[in-house]
Amino acid sequence: MTALEFKSVRKTFGTNVALEGLDLGVMPGELITLLGPSGCGKTTALRIAAGFEFADSGTVSVSDVDISSTAAHKRNMGMVFQSYSLFPNLTVALNIDFGLRTRKVASADRARRVDEMLELVELGRFRDRYPHQLSGGQQQRVALARALAVQPQVLLLDEPLSALDAKVRTTLRDEIRRIQTEVGITTLFVTHDQEEALAISDRVCVMSQGRIEQLGTPTEVYRRPSTAFVARFVGSMNELEGTVVDFRNVSISGRTVAVPAHGQADGTDVKVLVRPEDLTLVDDGFPGTVTSVTFQGATTLVGVRLDVIDRLVSIDVGQGDADHLGIGDRVQVALNGGNAVCEAA
Amino acid sequence: MAAVNSRRGSRLLPTVVLIAAAVFFIMPLVAIARFGFQNVPTVLLGWSSLFKKWTLDGITGAFRDRNFGPALGLSVKLAIGTVFGTIGLLLPTAVWVHLKLPKARGLVEFMTVLPYMVPGIALVAGIKVIQPHARWFLNSPYSLIPYYVVLALPFTYRSIDAGLRSIDLRTLVDASRSLGAGWGTTLRRVLMPNLRTSLVSATFLTVAVVLGEFTISSILLRKTLPVFQATYRSSSPRGAYALSVLFLLGTTAVFAVLSLLTRPKSARVKKIDPVVAAVTDEALATQGLAT
Repeated sequence: MTALEFKSVRKTFGTNVALEGLDLGVMPGELITLLGPSGCGKTTALRIAAGFEFADSGTVSVSDVDISSTAAHKRNMGMVFQSYSLFPNLTVALNIDFGLRTRKVASADRARRVDEMLELVELGRFRDRYPHQLSGGQQQRVALARALAVQPQVLLLDEPLSALDAKVRTTLRDEIRRIQTEVGITTLFVTHDQEEALAISDRVCVMSQGRIEQLGTPTEVYRRPSTAFVARFVGSMNELEGTVVDFRNVSISGRTVAVPAHGQADGTDVKVLVRPEDLTLVDDGFPGTVTSVTFQGATTLVGVRLDVIDRLVSIDVGQGDADHLGIGDRVQVALNGGNAVCEAA
Repeated sequence: MAAVNSRRGSRLLPTVVLIAAAVFFIMPLVAIARFGFQNVPTVLLGWSSLFKKWTLDGITGAFRDRNFGPALGLSVKLAIGTVFGTIGLLLPTAVWVHLKLPKARGLVEFMTVLPYMVPGIALVAGIKVIQPHARWFLNSPYSLIPYYVVLALPFTYRSIDAGLRSIDLRTLVDASRSLGAGWGTTLRRVLMPNLRTSLVSATFLTVAVVLGEFTISSILLRKTLPVFQATYRSSSPRGAYALSVLFLLGTTAVFAVLSLLTRPKSARVKKIDPVVAAVTDEALATQGLAT
């Protein structure tokens, strides 16, 4: 049984198609991230789940109960928004209490639940503060506590980290995952940040133009992208021109490299998309000249202009291996094509 | 030196403009107050008589008039009715327009200015259309309330509209609804407390319209306070003007106190410096405790 399910959900705004028959099932306790660029339909899907928008066709169900036409306030969903959504006139404790009060929970139970939630997000000492007395990260944690206080069936997170600075974002991201796992709540998370999606999700749903491009675990989406769009959107990619030799080999500048080329006819010109970590510096490979060396902590990103195909590529080099490299050095580059993606040129 | 002079010059101009505006606003009030509260013939009201023969006789005379009490009572009831009517009608409308019909905001704003352009007498003429169907209502003095709601529109809509623009309306409404609150609860528990300032100013402007409107109530033969003042002016001009000044100062004072008292608690507590908040955030993050 799925905890949340979209079946053939279609939504248009005027002539703009926001969702083109979305089919997605979220399992109980699972965290699925909807990942995609602006306008791909991810937020529309979330708002349809929340009841703020209604689908033109198709159904949304929670635990196999169709809620497609249920009003937002009658759905048992918790939601955290991109912008700070705490009620400015209420203290932290009263914000958390809001949903419990609207559900007419007994006073003693409400007080107990508010304490539990404050403990969960570790903000007990801020209970009497007003939202404007909190930092952005603290406000989002209170918003999370408020959403969870009502014990919703599904938690909806609409880019809750995007208004925060990088360091706070990483900490809160881990915090959200910890709380989600601890509470065991089914969660739909929307983001355009691929790093965030890969770090937090059980499964990632990459979307483009109202359709799902790929649904899979973070490793699957990153290591085995099913389309060129996913390959480009998730992580960075180098693009090399080549010609298909057969279904598992591509010729790049006269060298045959093992690259899966399913679905492409022999002799077709293709673009080979390959990640920086799948390129290595070797003794016998494509010759080129180092154009940049960027230290990134654990790895170093080396830019190399390949001679024969006049193409600039980025290569992830392990710690220490790039210490001797300088701009202008001559190097040789090899390609591990096992995870590469072929796209018709 | 030149920079200092230029800074002084830049401070001087606003000060002069401010003083000129204050004089322009206050002088007529002082003149009316002197006429109403000083028992000195008008031709002798100069600098030399500024502190002479101040008296409350005019106003106490007005208070003693047997028509004053009922007129005041009616105007107060009309003011209360108009305030409820205006906010009850305009707040949900403005919220709806902001959320669902943002493109229609210009049209609605234009419509709310119409009462400025349509003379009061034309509004009253419109009564002929509904007279045969609603005679019972038109016989009541409270039939003035719809007129007053319309007359107050240009002021009240703008005040509420400005309030709605100052908050993140969509997010607050969505958050409230996702927490199980219907539209009524959302209006009452989320929007109204956060629009307190604009609702208080809308109330103030509405009361000012009701306490100042003469044309419609006079034509419809309703004995409201402005009608009483106009009638009383013929028998005791000083008393009528003293009454005007008293009401102006009285309503201003009441609303000044009201806006202080209704200031949300959240506005009374000190805002934490964003830099301090960011440092706290970072410190907590470093400790792995928070944020």
